[in-house]
Amino acid sequence: MEIAVEKREGATVVSIDGSVDGMSAPQLVAAFREQIGGGNPRLVGNLASVDYTSSAGLRALLETVKDARQHGGDLRLAAVRPEVLRVLELSGFTSILQVFPDVDAAVASFTA
Amino acid sequence: MENVAAFRNFVEEACRRVGADESVCFEMKLVVDEACSNLVMHGYKGREPGPIGVSFSRQGNEITVTITDRAPPFDPKDAPIPRLDVPASERRPGGLGWHMIREIVDRMEYEADARDGNRLTLVKRFKPA
Repeated sequence: MEIAVEKREGATVVSIDGSVDGMSAPQLVAAFREQIGGGNPRLVGNLASVDYTSSAGLRALLETVKDARQHGGDLRLAAVRPEVLRVLELSGFTSILQVFPDVDAAVASFTA
Repeated sequence: MENVAAFRNFVEEACRRVGADESVCFEMKLVVDEACSNLVMHGYKGREPGPIGVSFSRQGNEITVTITDRAPPFDPKDAPIPRLDVPASERRPGGLGWHMIREIVDRMEYEADARDGNRLTLVKRFKPA
């Protein structure tokens, strides 16, 4: 799994590439936490290149969205692939996380 | 945890070989990951890492994945049931893996045997291509 961070007007985009599992999830939590700690709690998780997540990835998202909201921000997801969306739906995460079709829409939602 | 990825790939490939569609391959990969990760994170926690065995078979339109281990017995019926109808602030991280396994498979059996260890059997129906 690889992570790239991009500052955009109104939000910080964290793009994830690869599989999120028990091995890689801690790295994801750390990347999100670094942004929140650095004063960027408005986060977009770009999942366009995520082909797999287990519940370890869900726990990373849950921890991050709680942390972000406590700091006045949010975590919103963009470009989620169908198989990963199925995992989010199975676990009831689509009711706690906003999902947008693409990164631009997710970023724009923070300034709307 | 590295081995969990190997089990995952093994089951995904085996599902493809028997002609299951990609969504079934993905789901079976996920359930194997969840069951094996639980063994690594909880079953063998605080003790010498023990063996985990994963086997795959197909009979007709059913895929069976069997996972064996020698950790202290843990019946999936005892896993916490996550609340999925509450806001994020009230969500707890535990039990999500077992929840997804229950949602995905058509049948699940668990046996704990003092001599032979534990055996989790997960059965999923599929439409052969």
